[in-house]
Amino acid sequence: MSASQSAVRSRAEAVQVSRTFDWMILFTLFTAVLGGYHIHYMLTGGDWDFWTDWKDRRLWVTVAPIVSITFPAAVQACLWWRYRLPIGATISVVALMIGEWINRYMNFWGWTYFPVNICFPSNLLPGAIVLDVILMLGNSMTLTAVVGGLAYGLLFYPGNWPVIAPLHVPVEYNGMMMTLADLQGYHYVRTGTPEYIRMVEKGTLRTFGKDVAPVSAFFSGFVSIIIYFLWHFFGRWFAKTDFIADDAS
Amino acid sequence: MKIIKDKVAKLSFVALLITMTAAMFYAPTASAHGEKSQAAFMRMRTIHWFDLNWSKEEVPVNDTMTISGKFLVFAGWPETVDKPEVSFLNVGIPGPVFIRAGSWIGGQLVPRSVSLELGEVYEFKVLLKARRPGDWHVHSMMNVQGGGPIIGPGKWVTITGSMSEFVNPVTTLTGQTINLETYALDNVYFWHAVWFAIAFAWLLFWIKRPLFVPRHIAVSTGKADTLISAGDKKVGMLFAVGTMVIVAASMGATNEKYPVTTPLQAGLLRGMKTYQMPESTVSVKVDDATYRVPGRAMQMTLTITNNGDSPVRLGEFNTAGVRFLDPAVHEDETSYPDDLLAEEGLTVSDNSPLAPGETRTVEVTASDAAWEVYRLADLIYDPDSRFAGLLFFWDESGTRQMVTVDAPLIPSFI
Repeated sequence: MSASQSAVRSRAEAVQVSRTFDWMILFTLFTAVLGGYHIHYMLTGGDWDFWTDWKDRRLWVTVAPIVSITFPAAVQACLWWRYRLPIGATISVVALMIGEWINRYMNFWGWTYFPVNICFPSNLLPGAIVLDVILMLGNSMTLTAVVGGLAYGLLFYPGNWPVIAPLHVPVEYNGMMMTLADLQGYHYVRTGTPEYIRMVEKGTLRTFGKDVAPVSAFFSGFVSIIIYFLWHFFGRWFAKTDFIADDAS
Repeated sequence: MKIIKDKVAKLSFVALLITMTAAMFYAPTASAHGEKSQAAFMRMRTIHWFDLNWSKEEVPVNDTMTISGKFLVFAGWPETVDKPEVSFLNVGIPGPVFIRAGSWIGGQLVPRSVSLELGEVYEFKVLLKARRPGDWHVHSMMNVQGGGPIIGPGKWVTITGSMSEFVNPVTTLTGQTINLETYALDNVYFWHAVWFAIAFAWLLFWIKRPLFVPRHIAVSTGKADTLISAGDKKVGMLFAVGTMVIVAASMGATNEKYPVTTPLQAGLLRGMKTYQMPESTVSVKVDDATYRVPGRAMQMTLTITNNGDSPVRLGEFNTAGVRFLDPAVHEDETSYPDDLLAEEGLTVSDNSPLAPGETRTVEVTASDAAWEVYRLADLIYDPDSRFAGLLFFWDESGTRQMVTVDAPLIPSFI
């Protein structure tokens, strides 16, 4: 068989090879995104995602969507413009969250014995699903960035509230009031993470009384729009095939 | 000859691989916290821990113990370390082997960061509840923003029992008593499982059909629009609307279930109550100080003046948690960690009682292997080669006075 001959001899074989190829690419994409996205998110979102006593209504709400819309935007750019597959955001976030769960369960709990109820990851899935659907329906990067990016920021806090709310029930402890999440952070000793490192409830957003979470979410959504644009272009750049002579684009 | 060379090369490579693989199975236990690696001047010239007491050396799971004592925030705080304006009273333990059931400075609970004043003494207590069985090195510790962790003396404590028996009951302000160890865990798993299921359903909807090769061909040949059908769009709408409905409904249901929630609590605690040490009537001037490297001994020439009304004797020199005692004056009865206690480590050229009004110049030697073991001798390699410590004097009635010393240290290599 010469190099120019086909490796398959029938349509059935071609379909089989194509499907095998699908699974190989999916596996590679999934693990590569899991690793890259996980490192990125841990470095940028880090403690806000690690600990319940960092999951506040200002900075967590603001930071987590902004730093996590990155890979979804880039992978969307590749999968949509090359393959018309509206799963870029969801597959990225699923990969990230599986990696996070492995990390939290194996390392945080299995290795250092922090209870899982203090170190579970944030839920980014609602925003990712909506981001994919908006891209599919609109077939527009601009629309996805503006509407999807905003939705991604807005859905984050309510998407996590059912998980985090029980830990915001107040408790009186030795004459001070704190939330159960604060108490977790105090009880479960982190030698290398002193209390002052926590960046929670800081800022000048004081004119909305107790309703700062929606304002933070809107701000996060606006910045997510910009970050979406930026990372979408990264994705398109990485998905270029200039190195293939007859498929330059 | 070439065959032999190739064989040797191949076998060497295999041997290297076997060695590296075998090395992976050797993982010795890290049993301390690197306290000896912290720069000596940091330990000597920032927080001076004294009168430390670990209430127990063995404690069953669910039982409590305390670390208590005092610390002096050294007035000669080094310029290279940020001032302790934002600090946190911590404990140096390998993860949550204990839970910190309480911590107090000057009687005030300190779950948050505090502001400390240079030159002041504070009394502290940390209440620990045993959680994970094992032998653990338990340190007092002060984290200083911009300065890092300043670790105090550590003592081995054994926790017995089983971690599965550990409980952490807490009563909320809504009257519910919960076990914080496992509280809301089912809820965490449930909601993450729900969203993973929805996300996997969305992925499966697309992944079940041929993906990359045929779709790429279609896109490349201008048939991209044929790849998304009206049915796909309907399913997509269903997922998007369903997602938003679930988010809204679950948030509403959560608010009904937990009507009382509060934001995370944060903020700096200022004005911590200081501990008033008895006014010292002894003054000490350091004429010179040298560290003799071969002898593992620090020698100081001190001019001591007794301005009080009773004779005093020098009984202890404490630096970086290492205590050098003159047993003729003072003996430890607190079960202080052996490795940090030089029971006969302090010698004074003339330690006869210093009469009221008398001034005397003496040679004081603090010698012990702890200088090397705790790497305090590395002070000579620090950027600010000054030593500091606490001198304790006793009078005949047993009254103790504390004096701080702070002076340049000259190494002697012969």
